[in-house]
Amino acid sequence: MTQPTNSRLSAFFSSNRAALLTLLALILLPFIVGMMDGESPMMVFANESGNSKFAQGLAIEIFILALYALSFDLIFGITGMLSFGHSMFFGVGAYLTGISIKTFGLSLPATLGLVFIAAIVQAILFGLVLPRVKGITFALVTLGLGSVFHIVVMSSELGPYTGADVGLQGVIVPAFISPANERLRFYFIALTILILVYLLYKRFVDSPTGRVCVAIRENEGRARMLGYNTFYFKLAALTLSSLTAALAGFMHTLYQPIVSPNIANMGFTVTALLIILIGGVGTLSGALVGAVVYRLLDFGLRRYIGESASFISGAVYVLFVLFIPFGIVGTWKMKSLQIKQGWQRLQKLFG
Amino acid sequence: METILDVQNIHTFIGQYHILQGVNVRVPQGSITALLGRNGAGKTTTLKSIIGLTPPREGKVIYEGKEVQGARSFDIAAKGIGFVPEHRAIFRDLTVEENLKIAERVKGDYLRKRDFIFDLFPDLKRLMTLSGTALSGGQQQMLAIARALVPENHLLLIDEPSEGLAPVIIEHMMKAIQLLAKDSTIVLVEQNFLVASQLAEYYVIIEEGRSVQAGNMKDLVNDKAAIHRYLGAA
Amino acid sequence: MNTFLRKNTVLLITLAAILALFIAAAQGMEKKDFVITLLRGLSVGSLTFLVASGFSLIFGLLDVLNLAHGTLFMIGAYIGWTVFVRPDTFVDLLTPLALILSGFALGDVYPLLATRIRFGLSLKRILPWALVFTSILLFGWILPRYPIAIWNVGNYGQSPVTYSFMADSGTRLPVLPAAFTEISAPLALIGLLLASILGAFGLALFNNTAQPLKLNWKKFISFAILLLVALLTFIFNDSLTAALTGLSSNWLFVIAVLVATLSGAGLGALIESTLIRPLYIRPIYQLMLTLGMSAIGIEIVRAIWGRPEFVMPKPAFFNGSGGVCPATNFADWWANNCSTILLLDGRVRVYNEIFIPIVGVIVLISIWMLLQRTRLGMVIRAGVQDREMVEALGINVRRVFTMVFALGVGLAALGGILAAPSMGLSNAMGESLFLNALIALAIGGLTNYPGAALGSVLVGLIQQFIIKYGQIGIAIPFTDIIFKPTPPLVPASTVLLMVIILLILPNGLLGKKE
Ligand SMILES: Nc1ncnc2c1ncn2[C@@H]1O[C@H](COP(=O)(O)OP(=O)(O)OP(=O)(O)O)[C@@H](O)[C@H]1O
Ligand SMILES: [Mg+2]
Repeated sequence: MTQPTNSRLSAFFSSNRAALLTLLALILLPFIVGMMDGESPMMVFANESGNSKFAQGLAIEIFILALYALSFDLIFGITGMLSFGHSMFFGVGAYLTGISIKTFGLSLPATLGLVFIAAIVQAILFGLVLPRVKGITFALVTLGLGSVFHIVVMSSELGPYTGADVGLQGVIVPAFISPANERLRFYFIALTILILVYLLYKRFVDSPTGRVCVAIRENEGRARMLGYNTFYFKLAALTLSSLTAALAGFMHTLYQPIVSPNIANMGFTVTALLIILIGGVGTLSGALVGAVVYRLLDFGLRRYIGESASFISGAVYVLFVLFIPFGIVGTWKMKSLQIKQGWQRLQKLFG
Repeated sequence: METILDVQNIHTFIGQYHILQGVNVRVPQGSITALLGRNGAGKTTTLKSIIGLTPPREGKVIYEGKEVQGARSFDIAAKGIGFVPEHRAIFRDLTVEENLKIAERVKGDYLRKRDFIFDLFPDLKRLMTLSGTALSGGQQQMLAIARALVPENHLLLIDEPSEGLAPVIIEHMMKAIQLLAKDSTIVLVEQNFLVASQLAEYYVIIEEGRSVQAGNMKDLVNDKAAIHRYLGAA
Repeated sequence: MNTFLRKNTVLLITLAAILALFIAAAQGMEKKDFVITLLRGLSVGSLTFLVASGFSLIFGLLDVLNLAHGTLFMIGAYIGWTVFVRPDTFVDLLTPLALILSGFALGDVYPLLATRIRFGLSLKRILPWALVFTSILLFGWILPRYPIAIWNVGNYGQSPVTYSFMADSGTRLPVLPAAFTEISAPLALIGLLLASILGAFGLALFNNTAQPLKLNWKKFISFAILLLVALLTFIFNDSLTAALTGLSSNWLFVIAVLVATLSGAGLGALIESTLIRPLYIRPIYQLMLTLGMSAIGIEIVRAIWGRPEFVMPKPAFFNGSGGVCPATNFADWWANNCSTILLLDGRVRVYNEIFIPIVGVIVLISIWMLLQRTRLGMVIRAGVQDREMVEALGINVRRVFTMVFALGVGLAALGGILAAPSMGLSNAMGESLFLNALIALAIGGLTNYPGAALGSVLVGLIQQFIIKYGQIGIAIPFTDIIFKPTPPLVPASTVLLMVIILLILPNGLLGKKE
């Protein structure tokens, strides 16, 4: 065990080369885009508007989406629970942040604390129905819960708080991370959060708890036979997922000038599904890849096609389902048979 | 004697598992042929491959002189093959009568065959209006066989008819099968060697997805070594 | 009897609780309010049932959760509206539609054709793609040049909203007949036929699973019929349009209902045979696929009919006013076709609150008869339990699948067009009703047909009673407080009911235990 640190370090570098290079590229991204546009790094640091700032904005949106998709991959791809109410996890974070800052004037840390508490509470709420209903019925129940949340948010009675169908606006973000004036800082904070959460998720999946979650996906009956109380494991995954999604919602409210009620509807759950489907279900890194592809595709389509962009993305989604079912990362990894086997069992679970 | 069914070297996959790895079965017209082998050897899969429920990936299934492998299973069945599956597969939500009616291939099949079926299994007569769930195991088995008799079938694939039945009922079942063999050909999967040896003229032994031995049942009865090797102590 | 009681204690207690709740609800309001609320509940319940029953039939037999069902309900409404308000557009569409379908009508012929022709391996790979791509190109080239008189979503004066409004006031906006642009009529017709055949051929090559053993000559007959329809509707386009526009609104409504239902069924058959079928081996992907289709469907509706909501006029039979209206007895109503009728002092809208529930009951009974009395129903009931065995009996289960999918979507579309005059048309109409249907099914039992009916009625009643109490308020016992449930509580209450019932009976009220 007395390996020289040197070689261990180099082993670490060589085995994570792709990830580290990506990280480096992301750190340099604002400056490179700036340079291509003739802005000096100083101008980038000063958050002057230009292509660099624009690219940062797009990247921040991608990071938030990636966080959200990661949280969905944890419960669907890893644990095998198909929830159609996932947008509620995100929406609770987003709306609670907006309301507590705007209406109740809470500080940022207090808000974050509140969001986390709410996230745990809603995970338990979803968890309540877990032991009773499985598979398809779970999907339906969560769909129902999510829809109610959307309807409540949209209701005119709550208009003063949620902005009803117009959306929540006028949330004053503390100056030090204002997405308008301090975007570079926001960019790096969002990047850091994403990396930390991603590493945490990796650890979680490799941990004993995570392995039980995978076992639940593959065959819940067998996992229970091995003596695990699958309920607690599912609840753990749900809680972690809820926390992450709420965190993503929290950042979404800080970043976006208007929180549209669309983030609470079924369509936004579909977005999460779409992202991990593009990237590869159950791969974690697929959520990241998928978020990039999805957001850039959506951005490009909206720019060049306009209104009917969501039609095209729907079509892309259908094509993915039909022809590239394992997603980008999944197809990439296909050589290892295990993923495929796991998938088949996952499908049988719902079959 | 003419061959009604000729299974030539079929390979069948379920998912990515290579279940059948070369099965040959030749069934002479008008005979009873038994498929023998241990649990999990691939007997059921062979029957399902013949009728197209698990279509073979390689090899040929020749029925009445025509290649049928790869065709859709309802097309194969409609050529005159009746299937009595392992666990009877009685339709629970249908009454006994409907369970028979659904097997009609030509309108009126059921009315034409009703009396014949009642002669064969008199018990069914008084059960007609019950739902499929209400039947005992033996009655379900009778119904499953009766169902295969409704349409004009030339070949019956019967999977473990004696499974879980009391000796008296097995007797009855055997008589029925012998009676049926008078005007149709039967492929029989049977774990109970005693039953199989009394019924069948020919046999094929399947071992780990391959057909390893075939011939006349009379010869097998005397071949204690083969029985011991392939079928366990019997 | 005793065993029945013992086995179903939980169910009976739950039903009793619901009944008690219902009686309590009835105590709190006047008789006329009660009657109206009850009928409205039944009306919403009937519409919910039309969606829920189709959905549950599909789920029961095919194991496909068709999440696009709500969208298809909405599409049914929009199609029906088009026939009702713009018959000319409908007539214009007939020819290209028949041509597009004709290629697909040949179905089984393609796989047989493919086995006759020997391709090289690389060609075999490329060919389907090339065919489909060519077909899409051809469609993309011809369809925009094909003359279809249509409204203009971007221009308020010619938008569906205006057409609807005018139709409601009894006038028709004049429509300019469209003409071929940059393409000659024969070329366009032949091009469409060709594109359709190429596309169908390409798609057939994609799922080259099992081969049929022999050619089915019926396919050629349906192909010929479609061609004939295309030709006839093309030649007699003008006279057909004139005939439809001249019809009374009652007959036009009947035609609209039929067309919407049949197009729904056709759409269902198409979806099942092209998109759903390749995915039976990957059930989760089917779920995702239907989800995607739902999103696409909404976008298509937005693109064609626009985003603003509009109403569909009621047929004259239900739209009379003045004179003795609101009618107090049946004879008066019949003579004047009053839009409303007085029932126990309550003013009831005939179309919404009487006609729709009646249709609901008729559909309930006819589907029940179909399931219990016909051979198709027998095959469906058997197939729900064991598809393989049905197939081993020599029955083409795939075709039954397609039929059931078509039936289910047709029912949803029927619900859509029936709902259009009472709910109005909007991009969101499918979503809310689909949610109702899901809740109804979760309550009643996912694949249980009577359960679907029971759940739908419960959902409808609860919603309407809460809406009513939102207006009149609930006096909370022993206090002076009057509690008024707010609109968000309406969906919330049904979801709550669903969650409670699922916690008590995980398979729903009438669902079978696994
Ligand atoms: N769906 C499946 N997935 C994976 N393996 C399967 C599947 N179905 C069957 N097998 C395997 O195929 C092999 C043959 O099965 P089959 O049912 O044909 O055996 P059998 O000879 O009929 O056995 P028995 O006498 O117990 O009925 C077995 O090893 C079984 O485990
Ligand atoms: Mg077997």
